[in-house]
Amino acid sequence: MSQVPLGPRKVMGTPVARPHRTAAVQTYVPEIARGLGITMSHFFKNTKEMVFGQRPDPSTEAIEEGINTLSYPEQKRPYPERFRGVHRLTHREDESPRCVACLCCSTACPAQCIHIEAGEYPEGDPRRGYERFPKRFVIDELRCIFCGFCVEACPCDAIRMDTGIHAAPYDSREQFIFEKDLLMSFSGRDGSKLTQNPRHEPSDDSYPGVTREKGH
Amino acid sequence: MSIVEVILMLVKIVAVILLMVMPLAIMLTWADRRLGAMVQDRVGPNRTVVWLPTPVAQGAAVGPALLVCAIVAYIAFGHLAGAHPAPSPEDKASCGTVFAHLAILMTWATFAIISGLVIRRGARSSLDLWLKNFHPRHIVYTGLGAHVLAIVLSSAFAGTEQGLVLQDWYYGGGAAILMFAVLLGAGYAAFAIRNEPRVGLRLLGLPHAFVADGLKTLWKEDFIPPNADKLLHSLAPFISFFPALTVFAVIPFGDTLCFGSTPDGHLDITKLAHSVPREGMCLAGSFRLQVVDLNVGLLYFFALAGTGIVGAALAGWASDNKYSLLGGLRAASQMVSYEVTMGLTLVGAMMVYGTLRLDEMVRWQGENTWGIFVQPLAFILFFTSAVAESKRIPFDLPEGESEIVAGYFTEYAGMKFAMFFFSEYIAVVSSSALLAVIFLGGWNLPFLYRDGFHVALGGTAIFDQPIAHGLVIVLGVLAFLLKVVGLCWLQLMIRWTLPRFRYDQLMKLGWRKLLPASLVNILATGLGVMLLQGAEGSLATALRVVCDASTLLVGLVMAGLFVWLVVFLLKPVHKRKMLASSSAQFAAAMGGTRNFRMEA
Repeated sequence: MSQVPLGPRKVMGTPVARPHRTAAVQTYVPEIARGLGITMSHFFKNTKEMVFGQRPDPSTEAIEEGINTLSYPEQKRPYPERFRGVHRLTHREDESPRCVACLCCSTACPAQCIHIEAGEYPEGDPRRGYERFPKRFVIDELRCIFCGFCVEACPCDAIRMDTGIHAAPYDSREQFIFEKDLLMSFSGRDGSKLTQNPRHEPSDDSYPGVTREKGH
Repeated sequence: MSIVEVILMLVKIVAVILLMVMPLAIMLTWADRRLGAMVQDRVGPNRTVVWLPTPVAQGAAVGPALLVCAIVAYIAFGHLAGAHPAPSPEDKASCGTVFAHLAILMTWATFAIISGLVIRRGARSSLDLWLKNFHPRHIVYTGLGAHVLAIVLSSAFAGTEQGLVLQDWYYGGGAAILMFAVLLGAGYAAFAIRNEPRVGLRLLGLPHAFVADGLKTLWKEDFIPPNADKLLHSLAPFISFFPALTVFAVIPFGDTLCFGSTPDGHLDITKLAHSVPREGMCLAGSFRLQVVDLNVGLLYFFALAGTGIVGAALAGWASDNKYSLLGGLRAASQMVSYEVTMGLTLVGAMMVYGTLRLDEMVRWQGENTWGIFVQPLAFILFFTSAVAESKRIPFDLPEGESEIVAGYFTEYAGMKFAMFFFSEYIAVVSSSALLAVIFLGGWNLPFLYRDGFHVALGGTAIFDQPIAHGLVIVLGVLAFLLKVVGLCWLQLMIRWTLPRFRYDQLMKLGWRKLLPASLVNILATGLGVMLLQGAEGSLATALRVVCDASTLLVGLVMAGLFVWLVVFLLKPVHKRKMLASSSAQFAAAMGGTRNFRMEA
């Protein structure tokens, strides 16, 4: 083991320039005054804009300096039109779900968060043998990745994500299990529980398709 | 001491402590958070809301307005109904000026606020539609112009036949317009909220400090560590809280009020002097706006302010916690160090003023010039050590949370914690009050004398406006409060600007920079006092000119600040829009994020 010599070691590397400490810097006062000036300009500008309601709009004027804070949830940023929010099950005219329990959505779902139990219509119902209905329709919103594949997959426009509601923060996992009734209680952004796409029931006169009764 | 004087004394104590110091301290807590938010581009605490049923809110708007109207009507028109004798011409003149300016102020303020609201939330009634024709900026300009016009008219016609007619107009018309404006504003507010299910009282987030932060601590658990010294642990917050409050006893917050006196030499509260001479003091029936008038005023202040050290040190020692002990030791050594500078700095001021009585110091400044012009270095030194005394940033090492948790009050919770917290803010208020009294002329305003406003330069009078005695006192108290609030605000600003010192830097600053500087200040002041004392002839004239110039400077600075404030507040604001994102485009199509806008 070699002996390390005592005394100052030779310093390697390039020296960093020390800041020039003028009398003004060393007395603190001018620099403190400068700092206070910056603080005060922020204070006066922001207070004035706050009290007079001249704050920049957080969505459209976010480029501006100032208080851009949104007071969520009293104030919300408007979501884009195609925003995928919490799902809803659309209604028919008679307030039954448009869903025919074909399981396309639950098959397409990459997160496997949709659970459907299909039920048959009772004997004598015009829809019996033609389509089914969901006895249970459950979405685990905590597992959902909001990809929108279920909406793409649905042949009946029965499931939509146009509620504009984003996933809500709950305090237990059970509350994220959305059952059929809850899903059907949401309306789209236009306030309607229906959709713009018309649906023609087999018993309607407007029904365009081929029916056994019409003898095709 | 008569019973009236005892009652007046109690009123003074309650007024000072309950109405001035405590609310100021609570509002400072609020303002501190508010400032912190504002300087960091945040909203700050504004969510606390007290919901009022609509009728209650309407009553709260209209009730005080009706009360004000009743008082104005009684004063202005009571003599017509024989409620009191007809006012003398002097009464009419001074009341008329006040009425006229209050009427102008209330009118433009009411219209400007309503038209600002209409611009923000859209017109809802035909009055709103009509108000939309005017911009608030123009209303304010018109209002300020009307003030100037009123002053010009009254001084142009002073002492003439038309002047008396104008006085009558100011008196009767001013009172009538004042009542109309007050009622209009309150009525509009009550009308505007008539369809609301309930009205939220937000007051710029002020309930946050009073209700959410202040009252909350009363219901919190009062925790005492198991091995703590129970007596001392409970005693410490009281030791630091109450001395901080009691120092206000010697602070004079206004000039002496002059009342008449009863035959047996007591004070007659029903006879307030109408006007007093410019020089001299009233002897009988004087009422000091100061709780006690001690001849050792300043020493009393230091004696009690020094007690705060004991509270902090005891809290640290009694908590049975290493961090608390460190914090207590830091607090004690820091406060002792800076107390020395603080005391020595004021020796210069004592030499100049030649007294320890705070009210006499203010009077000296009224006759000569403000303390900041005679002792500028002392002002900076005293301000620095006052910030250090209240243990606030940049000197908040006793509670440096990045090093020793919360310092000496780590083991405190609930109201005891709040007492430490408040005593810090009360220390801010009291040091600001002392600074205002010693360096910023206390209740003095430039050119405001005991008998009114007199602007004179070199013997030529430029502007003369005699003002009633009561009003002069009120203006003085308001000026004092404004100075205290301004200095408190400066201390908060410093808190939001500077980083914390290191402990060795703190000690070095205290002992090796501030202390020698304060000794130099004493030396320089001593020399100055020796040379200038008893100055006669041309030297005395020169000093007088310098004093007048400083008064003029203060007046000009105040006027400049006022103009700057008006221009700053009324400057139009243009915001650039950026609609790059689809979210922003959607928001713009919906008229912005303003549908549920929470302001202030």
